[in-house]
Amino acid sequence: MRNLYYVDGSPECFFTAVFEAWKDGNAYLFSQPNIQTGLGDSWHDVTPDPAKAARVVKKLAALDSRAPYEIDCILRSFSDEKEQIAFEYIRLLVQGGVPVRERLSEPVARRAIELQQKVGAETHNLKGFLRFQETQGGVFYAPCAPDHDIVDLLMPHFVSRFKTVAFVIHDTKRHVAGIYDGRTWRLCATPKNAELILTEQEDGFSRLWKQYYNQVAIPERKNTRQMKAYMPVRYWKFMTEKQGE
Amino acid sequence: MIDENRLKILTDGAKYDVSCSSSGSKRKNTADGLGNAAFAGICHSFAADGRCISLLKILMSNDCVFDCKYCPNRRSADVPRASLTPEEICELTVGFYRRNYIEGLFLSSAVVRNPDYTMELLYKTVLLLRTVYKFNGYIHLKGIPHADKLLTQKAANLVDRMSYNVELPSEESLKLLAPQKTKKSIFTPMGELTAGRAQYLAERKKGGGRVEMKGLGRYLPAGQTTQMIVGASPETDGKILRLTQAMYRKFDLKRVYYSSYIPVVQDPLLPDKTAGLLREHRLYQADWLLRFYGFTSEEILPEDENLPTEYDPKCAWALKNMQFFPVEVNKASVEELLRVPGIGAKGAYKIVSARKHATLTFEHLQKMRIVLKRAKHFITCAGKFFGSDDPETVKFRLMLAERTDSAEQLNLFDQGLLPPADAEKFLLRSTPQNALAVLTGQL
Repeated sequence: MRNLYYVDGSPECFFTAVFEAWKDGNAYLFSQPNIQTGLGDSWHDVTPDPAKAARVVKKLAALDSRAPYEIDCILRSFSDEKEQIAFEYIRLLVQGGVPVRERLSEPVARRAIELQQKVGAETHNLKGFLRFQETQGGVFYAPCAPDHDIVDLLMPHFVSRFKTVAFVIHDTKRHVAGIYDGRTWRLCATPKNAELILTEQEDGFSRLWKQYYNQVAIPERKNTRQMKAYMPVRYWKFMTEKQGE
Repeated sequence: MIDENRLKILTDGAKYDVSCSSSGSKRKNTADGLGNAAFAGICHSFAADGRCISLLKILMSNDCVFDCKYCPNRRSADVPRASLTPEEICELTVGFYRRNYIEGLFLSSAVVRNPDYTMELLYKTVLLLRTVYKFNGYIHLKGIPHADKLLTQKAANLVDRMSYNVELPSEESLKLLAPQKTKKSIFTPMGELTAGRAQYLAERKKGGGRVEMKGLGRYLPAGQTTQMIVGASPETDGKILRLTQAMYRKFDLKRVYYSSYIPVVQDPLLPDKTAGLLREHRLYQADWLLRFYGFTSEEILPEDENLPTEYDPKCAWALKNMQFFPVEVNKASVEELLRVPGIGAKGAYKIVSARKHATLTFEHLQKMRIVLKRAKHFITCAGKFFGSDDPETVKFRLMLAERTDSAEQLNLFDQGLLPPADAEKFLLRSTPQNALAVLTGQL
């Protein structure tokens, strides 16, 4: 007997749902439309309401200044339960009246923190694993297919690094891209197919990098298992050194 | 662009250097520059040996006038020689950095002509990289022993980290295997860099803390490291760890790396066998205890001067000091928790913050992902004890826990630490009957 609150996946809609479901003890928030519904479950489509969402965010920030960031991370996760976990975490926070992230004996806090750490970990990993290619227009292009929706979390890191160089980070799974023109960056939707024309020296650099990658390993200490543990195979698709293996 | 052959030779010469970390520096980018440093460091790839690749680790040249016995690039060796010009190194670094292959450069070199000449070329390279190429990413520079002090100091102003490798843990071994190096030629520049860093910090404090924080002119923000080869010479673990501890205290090193000896060169003075990864692993564990867990080398080292192979040094210490255990997780201080085998710095922190809000039970710890297979013999949770009282059983379980740890388990057998019969018993552990036998101690 759950009251299902279906949200559209945007943070605003999620916070609206939190507002509307607040007093509902049987509320279940989700954005995955193929949910298994049970007998007696009732379905509500939530319409985003900026005023309601703003009130929730304000309350959150007042109780714990880090919480809005944490919720933002949780909502980026690929977990089907992310909205519900975030909702329960907010409830715990409001009931407690003080930050609850250290209460690891509480299952709600633990699950929320774990989800947030997974998103944070992938963001950190991709700061290393992302590979750029130089296109003929002088723009550097990096495709990726992360588990979580994190392209906009990666952008500031590379903007401060590359400064004068224009670049694009393309999430091929969600068809969005972060685009930096050398001054400002924005996020936009991308067409499914785009053609890339690479510079001539691109091939030279990628061959040198592959050479380096293979040479720097110590053959007597081969340890494929550890390599894969630190650098999961799902990221290899876009990594220069792992092409043609 | 440089050719693949030279890259191959110069990578080959540099790859036995263990250090590849890019942490410890917060260097910022400049308005029209390229790159910055991430304080926590970033791994960009992992090589087939499982090691992280975060820096372009390369020699400027492998054409050496020194004749260190263990080194594949020694003067008397017949190997292909190659060199790169400062411009070539800069272009390669910047090209790799733009593609996000690397976090920065780890530049080292054989001693070309003489130490001063080599150091000057290294200095020129980093200067070019920082000024002309406006590169603000991470740079780790290897110091050249015997080189001019002024040159070294100037280089230290440009890079994030410098290191001099001790290589061999005693003067006698150095004399025997690296005749051109002495203890003094390594420790003197290390000391000068430590003093230089202290002076820089003092001046920055005087200037209100804002002096040249950006780009050029920060003095070794990520400090110094060093490396020792383990197993090429007869020193005990005790000797190595005491030297390590002394260097941490005296030179304020960020890290000491250990590299298990691999016979890449044939020489009657060198062993012809690989030293094995287990000893290296134990030294790293002990090193961590020195740096993060408040232990001293005197506490960790047993009378026979070598770390036990059966279990990690913290387990060994705890077994000898059972009077301190068990500790109650809801009351023990952080220092006490850190001394419990199996509880690390993260685990101790999690426990201390979670117990403010609730009395922790054994189940709580499990759910919090504290690894308990070792710890349970040394703690109580809300007064309850879940380990074994019998010291022999505890020892046995700890050894077993060690063997089920993934990374090193097979090495125990590879190195013949266990007789083949015993090894077989443990390798068969995957069947349900076996698992039961293990639990009831019948194996």
